[in-house]
Amino acid sequence: MKTNPFKFLIFLPAILLATSGMGQIYNGKSMSVTFFSKAPLEDITAINKVSKPILNTATGDVIVKVPIQGFIFEKALMQEHFNENYMESEKYPDASFKGKITEPIDWKKDGTYKLNIAGKLLVHGVEKDRTLPVVITIKGGEITVESKFTITLKDHNITIPELVFQKIAETVDVTLNATLVPYSPKKK
Amino acid sequence: MRILFPLLILGAFVSGNPARAQDNDLEKLLEEESGPQFNKVFATFKTSRIISSQSVEQVKAGTLDFRVTHRFGNVGAGSAGGGHTLFGLDEASDIRISFDYGLTENFALGIGRSKRKENLDGNFKWKILHQTTDNKIPFTLSLFSVATFTPMRESQLYLGVDSTFERKTAHRMAYTTQILLARKFSSWLSLQLTPGYTHRNFVKEDYNPNNQAADENGFASLGIGGRIKITKRSSILFDYFHLFSKYRQNNDNFFAPLSLGIEIETGGHVFHLNFSNSSGIIENDFLPYTQSDWLAGGFKFGFNISRVFTVVKPKM
Repeated sequence: MKTNPFKFLIFLPAILLATSGMGQIYNGKSMSVTFFSKAPLEDITAINKVSKPILNTATGDVIVKVPIQGFIFEKALMQEHFNENYMESEKYPDASFKGKITEPIDWKKDGTYKLNIAGKLLVHGVEKDRTLPVVITIKGGEITVESKFTITLKDHNITIPELVFQKIAETVDVTLNATLVPYSPKKK
Repeated sequence: MRILFPLLILGAFVSGNPARAQDNDLEKLLEEESGPQFNKVFATFKTSRIISSQSVEQVKAGTLDFRVTHRFGNVGAGSAGGGHTLFGLDEASDIRISFDYGLTENFALGIGRSKRKENLDGNFKWKILHQTTDNKIPFTLSLFSVATFTPMRESQLYLGVDSTFERKTAHRMAYTTQILLARKFSSWLSLQLTPGYTHRNFVKEDYNPNNQAADENGFASLGIGGRIKITKRSSILFDYFHLFSKYRQNNDNFFAPLSLGIEIETGGHVFHLNFSNSSGIIENDFLPYTQSDWLAGGFKFGFNISRVFTVVKPKM
């Protein structure tokens, strides 16, 4: 049987991707997103450990995806209200941030960087241009990212019912911690 | 010709905007990563009951729901209500105090005590199927069962019964088992079908004068209930039971339970304001003993107070 001499070309894009891209892609080893909202009766806090970050160190592109239903509250009822009324997570299942790191970073060397990442923050189906402050620490091939920022509910069309017993703050504080390692697809 | 296709792919790769391509690749890689699936439909109803009927919702795992359910007297003057009882507000047809606990996400146990017949009840609700957003499971299916024991005085329990009739503790028991089949059709419409069977160990020998049928120990029932959201935070609720009991058909003293209500959410609390022709609150009571007629003003205002305690905190 005669083989097509150009058949190897089929694999070329894959090879290109593997050699030029893959080595610079990092994904999440662990990640937590917490939010905190001050309220007179009790502070509201929730944690999400199923968020997924991904980073391309060659281009500086970074994406974080946060499934809204992955937020765990201490009170189960509060969690349901959060999903049904505030975040409408059946309609808007994920929050996300897509940004680009423009500062030069030597990803190969251990070090700590304080910088701002400009990008688009999508919450409750509403996208906003945001610049988020982050601290990036590189150590032994692992990248840790920490960020603290505030989300104003009104900016994302999240309405607070008028008839609330427990007055909810107009802003929530979000804390994000992620550890990224060289890309390996997570198995199902 | 066969080499053209890979060349095209290659071409797309090298000529396209590299940053754009990278961005898309990155998103694709993220999509491929598997995370937990959040495909369960939630909030088909807001609480464990529609109004009188059980709903497919149940207490969440690790939480305890302390609840006082209250039903006033008849509103209409034609049914002993009217202005002299402030439209039933002076009366308490039934009051039930209950505790429900979620053993797991799908299994809840409850106990309660009602004013009517001094009924003590134990019940469980078991969610067998949970509707998914991808419609692979198109509805939620639960099994609900309640047993009651009435500790009322013997003279009261056997009132009008021949003194030669043998007294037994078992006479004080009654049972209802129901299948709850619900579907959330959209964020504004949830419907539930509730077939069930009620058995009372002891019934008095009563006849319906209109058809000569005797009261039955056991009879089947079919309930239908729903929730229609009218604004983002308020809904109309209803439930109705058809009773397959010949004694209760065309009977001047027995009626099919029908309840109507509204539900207002206030961010953390759910208010229920409802009206029902049933006096009793639990199935073993309101299914066999709904004796008021809506058309004669025989409906009662009802409300409940619920306080939910988190017993086992979720892993944070």
